[in-house]
Amino acid sequence: MKLNIEGLLVYFPYDYIYPEQYSYMLELKRTLDAKGHGVLEMPSGTGKTISLLSLIVAYQRAFPLEVTKLIYCSRTVPEIEKVVEELRKLMEFYSKETGETNNFLALALSSRKNLCIHPEILHANIVVYSYHYLLDPKIADLVSKELAKKSVVVFDEAHNIDNVCIDSMSVNITRRTLDRCQNNVDTLQNTIQKIKETDAAKLREEYRRLVDGLKEASVARETDIYLSNPVLPDEILQEAVPGTIRTAEHFVGFLRRFLEYLKSRLRVQHVVQESTPQFLKDIFDKVCIDRKPLRFCAERLQSLLRTLEIADIADFSAVTLISNFATLVSTYSQGFTIIIEPFEDRTPTIANPVLHFSCMDPSIAIKPVFQRFQSVVITSGTLSPLDIYPRILDFRPVTMASFTMTLARTCLCPLIVGRGNDQVALSSKFETREDFAVIRNYGNLLLEMSAVVPDGIVAFFTSYVYMENIVASWYEQGILENIQRNKLIFIETQDAAETSMALEKYQEACENGRGAILLSVARGKVSEGIDFVHHFGRAVIMFGVPYVYTQSRILKARLEYLRDQFQIRENDFLTFDAMRHAAQCVGRAIRGKTDYGLMIFADKRYARADKRGKLPRWIQEHITDGSLNLTVDETVQLSKHFLRQMAQPFRQEDQLGLSLLTLEQLQSEEMLKKITQIAHQT
Amino acid sequence: MDEEPERAKRWEGGYERTWEVLKEDESGSLKATVEEILFQSKRKRVIESHGQVRLGMMRHLYVVIDCSRSMEDQDLKPNRLTSTLKLMEAFVEEYFDQNPISQVGIIMTKNKRAEKLTDLAGNPKKHITALQKAVDSVCVGEPSLYNSLSLAVQTLKHMPGHTSREILIILSSLTTCDPANIYELIKTLKSLKVRVSVIGLSAEVRVCTVLTRETGGSYHVILDESHFKELLMLHVKPPPSSSASECSLIRMGFPQHTIASLSDQDAKPSFSMSHLDGGGGSGPGLSLGGYFCPQCHAKYTELPVECKVCGLTLVSAPHLARSFHHLFPLDAFTEIPEEEHHGDRFCQACQGELKDKSVFMCPSCHSVFCVECDLFIHDSLHCCPCCIHNQSGP
Repeated sequence: MKLNIEGLLVYFPYDYIYPEQYSYMLELKRTLDAKGHGVLEMPSGTGKTISLLSLIVAYQRAFPLEVTKLIYCSRTVPEIEKVVEELRKLMEFYSKETGETNNFLALALSSRKNLCIHPEILHANIVVYSYHYLLDPKIADLVSKELAKKSVVVFDEAHNIDNVCIDSMSVNITRRTLDRCQNNVDTLQNTIQKIKETDAAKLREEYRRLVDGLKEASVARETDIYLSNPVLPDEILQEAVPGTIRTAEHFVGFLRRFLEYLKSRLRVQHVVQESTPQFLKDIFDKVCIDRKPLRFCAERLQSLLRTLEIADIADFSAVTLISNFATLVSTYSQGFTIIIEPFEDRTPTIANPVLHFSCMDPSIAIKPVFQRFQSVVITSGTLSPLDIYPRILDFRPVTMASFTMTLARTCLCPLIVGRGNDQVALSSKFETREDFAVIRNYGNLLLEMSAVVPDGIVAFFTSYVYMENIVASWYEQGILENIQRNKLIFIETQDAAETSMALEKYQEACENGRGAILLSVARGKVSEGIDFVHHFGRAVIMFGVPYVYTQSRILKARLEYLRDQFQIRENDFLTFDAMRHAAQCVGRAIRGKTDYGLMIFADKRYARADKRGKLPRWIQEHITDGSLNLTVDETVQLSKHFLRQMAQPFRQEDQLGLSLLTLEQLQSEEMLKKITQIAHQT
Repeated sequence: MDEEPERAKRWEGGYERTWEVLKEDESGSLKATVEEILFQSKRKRVIESHGQVRLGMMRHLYVVIDCSRSMEDQDLKPNRLTSTLKLMEAFVEEYFDQNPISQVGIIMTKNKRAEKLTDLAGNPKKHITALQKAVDSVCVGEPSLYNSLSLAVQTLKHMPGHTSREILIILSSLTTCDPANIYELIKTLKSLKVRVSVIGLSAEVRVCTVLTRETGGSYHVILDESHFKELLMLHVKPPPSSSASECSLIRMGFPQHTIASLSDQDAKPSFSMSHLDGGGGSGPGLSLGGYFCPQCHAKYTELPVECKVCGLTLVSAPHLARSFHHLFPLDAFTEIPEEEHHGDRFCQACQGELKDKSVFMCPSCHSVFCVECDLFIHDSLHCCPCCIHNQSGP
């Protein structure tokens, strides 16, 4: 159908539209009009992707000078494929409706095997790729730096974007990294030696270039051709590479010294935490390495690798990592911390020293993106509370909206179980974690649910350790055996191959009527990337509140930083983080309007307003007072009732006019009024 | 909804949240209640059934009753098994009333096995006694869809092509324990044109959705006991036969009921042929009168039956007449919104006041009816009372 969105003609490749899609497009258009950034939350399965694509493509066609490119960032390869699929549909619709051949070029970067390096791709109108291509400075430099300023950047499934940013800027160094780095440096030295004998002119040429400084890069940045690289701060561009590392041999020697220093630091017996200035002072005192050459380290290594004409850069990942670390540590005096741990907390007897160079400020990595591109849209099914994202990513959005799911029938049923049948409060909090009564009641809940929920149930625990303890305890109490009469049990483990095997068998059991339970972990692979449509997930049970492991030093440092820099209290952030993961987990069950599923929050703390209020609006509005603090029995009764209601025949006609609209219905006055209520501005 | 179906006693129900049923949407009702959707589908059923479709008059139906552990659940009173068996008795009776020349067999599944309770037969009494006996059976283990289906198919596949082959499964459990891949069996069922329908007692199970979709059956899940009954009664009506099914002329015998002693003084009491295999019927087998097959003169005490000796289908004329209305169904009544209707304020059938949103008018005699009577006329009477009244009048 063809839509009129505030004067913009939008081609929409389907005959029907959800009201929230229309509303979403409205907000999106306002964002683009204002040339600002937006934060939009819309439940999964309501056609976010196609709404985004149709509106932005229409906008591009209408105002080719205002918006030249769409950069669509998604998380995983299957998601990218989905986007491309939708895009193809849209393009077909365009050529059918307008009759002209399609002059739009879209490009998807998924994996190396699909890579194309034809120069024409630089002019693609739409680029679809993974987050890392834009956020990770190491890759962004290769792929994304030439993207035009007048682009619209969309981050889909962006509820974890702060963690992606942080990960892309953080460096972990172990003994193995250093060993491999040592090998790299040896190889470098040998190659230099060889080249010196055969082609000394090349090295001299490089030297001359370095004296001139990084002028090229500096010119490029001023003229705004490139996306700036956070690893390469502005100041160094003005200067020449310092003399101490200008010749290749000196640089290699410099790397050796730096490496030795890191090795000595890893020989600690106790935990050390220091700031970057402290680290720099220490390195100066011990091995006389100045701050300045450190800052040029990454750039200098790149230049050397180029000069030596080394083809396989992957072999040199260790030394690249170390040199990036050197540059970052000497560049940022704030937002980073260095923690050296001699062993892991769980295995205090095994020496496994790690140097964590940890970024605490996600805004550092994403800053260039916000600065460079005129519109950046952050969107996901779960972004609540919306206002926290602009705060931690340090930007100012022009639109922030949360959309609900209009439903012809209430197809999601969030229930908060607070008590067992014996009135014992259910909670995963630390004090009662080992409590026998709580574990038994959790087991009882799963057992009872396994008898009333058809096909698949997915249960999430707060951590692997917690899951192992509980499952072991259930085994001893004979609960597992009883559950297995109703359904098969599969468990997610840290081993990816094992987990995908379990997942496959789980789906098979759901398919052929045996029924299955998948025990998995919030924040694990299952909770993030895998959808449990229809019978694969008729119920999700969230055992406990998935707080992050709070004793981790990295987390503590980050919390402290958030409090000092952004005035976000520790507790607020922890709750926010826990609730977004809980929402992600339970959101796995509902992947569309014809789908239905139970969302069971098994912890009495969910009933509190501070937790409940942080759930996405589309879940929150279905939590009535009657579904708080239930006992296991009450939960079972409500679930039975819900499942029977949902099993009644449900056809498309039942949705039409309510949650699914034709063009005529969409244009009616009354509907337009209703649509304005769907978007919830904050 | 004015309709208040018979429910279990309040104190017997589970945690019912009656106050939540009253929930109104102030926003102008984005959420149509499920009940409204149900009402619509009820009405639709009447309308849908009035296409000119060919119906399978001779039906062979196997009913599979789940007797697994989950049948002990007490959400139907007194428990699922008792309630199901009771409804099944009513179903069997109604079934033979509406489909006199059809047959039914009953299979029970529990403990991963399937057993025949009764073979395919056209005698309601036999089935009903078997059902009554089954009340005391213990519910254990899991059901097996695969075993039940293959047991039913073993018999059904030998049924002639012009008859329908149907399986109705009443499934309480949410799991099934199968010895082999059920999807292979579904393919076989499809190729044999066996239609499988399922009534679920607890929730929607994926494998049943696929099973019914593939074989062209229907899948419903009950809400409560009265809904269960309604769903069960849906299966009384013969399903449209597939256009691919064979057409053939069938030889039928119409035996008269004769009492031998009237014509022949020396007649001795004799056994009915249906008693031969032992299981048939109750009471003493010896009798003087009976139906004699016009072809081979074998004696039967009850009709309809397939002659054990010569294989002739024996029916009585009233039987055939009773299945007649399926072929010439009553036309659907036209639905008129209440405010547009200016005539009678009372339903012609029950004389109740017309209070619903819409009224229903017979297209030939223009009498109006309420929705309940509309359903009753189409489901049970099969003729418009006013039309009949006019015909027989002066």
